[in-house]
Amino acid sequence: MQKLKFLAGFGILFFIYYVSFYLVKLTGISFPPAILGLILFTMALFTGIIKEEWVESASNFLLKNMAVLFVPFVVGLIVYKDILIKNWLSILLVIFVTTTVIIVSIGLFVEHGLKFLNKEQKND
Amino acid sequence: MINPLGIAVTVALFKFSQKLKISLLSPILIAGAAIILLLKLFHINYIEYKQSVSFLTFLLAPATISLGYPLYKNLNLLVRNKRIIYTAFVFAVVIAILSTNFIGNVCHAEHSLVVSMLPKSVTAPIAIEVSKSLHGIPELTACTVVLTGIFGAVFGHKILNLIGVKDDAAIGLAIGAASHVLGTSKCIETGKPKQVVMSTLALVVVGILTVIIAPVIVRLIY
Repeated sequence: MQKLKFLAGFGILFFIYYVSFYLVKLTGISFPPAILGLILFTMALFTGIIKEEWVESASNFLLKNMAVLFVPFVVGLIVYKDILIKNWLSILLVIFVTTTVIIVSIGLFVEHGLKFLNKEQKND
Repeated sequence: MINPLGIAVTVALFKFSQKLKISLLSPILIAGAAIILLLKLFHINYIEYKQSVSFLTFLLAPATISLGYPLYKNLNLLVRNKRIIYTAFVFAVVIAILSTNFIGNVCHAEHSLVVSMLPKSVTAPIAIEVSKSLHGIPELTACTVVLTGIFGAVFGHKILNLIGVKDDAAIGLAIGAASHVLGTSKCIETGKPKQVVMSTLALVVVGILTVIIAPVIVRLIY
């Protein structure tokens, strides 16, 4: 039964992918099919068209093991080794600076925004 | 041609790298480097390897779709304090793209490289799709995504502590928005559910928003 649910979950995810793939193809809009699938999947769960227990084990399995799927892309870097060697300092600089900027600005914004809202609610 | 050996070696090396538990180096990078060495050693070219693991690459689509599951489970959190949270998501996307473009140009990085780095703050399957649609190089995007995730996971909590951000919702949101799944995994380690939930929500919603907003900004600045 557990195995059946696991396979059924995969079946549902693949089905959603193919539906999104052909939707994108037929309408000619430039939108990543997998992201459209993500939105359709969330909506289907929310409206109850897809029951949570059908997809729980397959989703958790994929989420838990997602990282291994990126390994082939890292291996693919050998093709781009010239551009990497030439730009390694810019790459690291961009990553360090921009990631710090996002963490600091969003962290401060949400922290103070929530504090401000809570104060406002207390005054009401 | 599907060669099960490529997949078996990739998964085995990844599992082994996970066991090493080196916090500064992600298992993705260790396994990737090990496979590059193996390919060199046995004179296998990348195209052959890529074909042998095409099933793994194919699984990226259902893996991306499965992100809808945690999104659905925590949708109620998006309703509370929604104005602040939505504004933060949009800010995060715009700041990420503009700052990457700015610093990239200041460093005189090549144009194709800068474009490939634009979606580096979002989770890899989404970033790869965005990169393709912007005519970037998916492999470079994947690499910068992983490096960004490592940076966020290692330094995210330290930076927020330094500037005095203490609210778990703010911490989770900032780290998830800046460093996707790898940052989220660090939030899981802290054992604070609110951080985990906000971080997961941030990585999914910021990912979706990036798909929509990135092409618009790119059209405006180039």
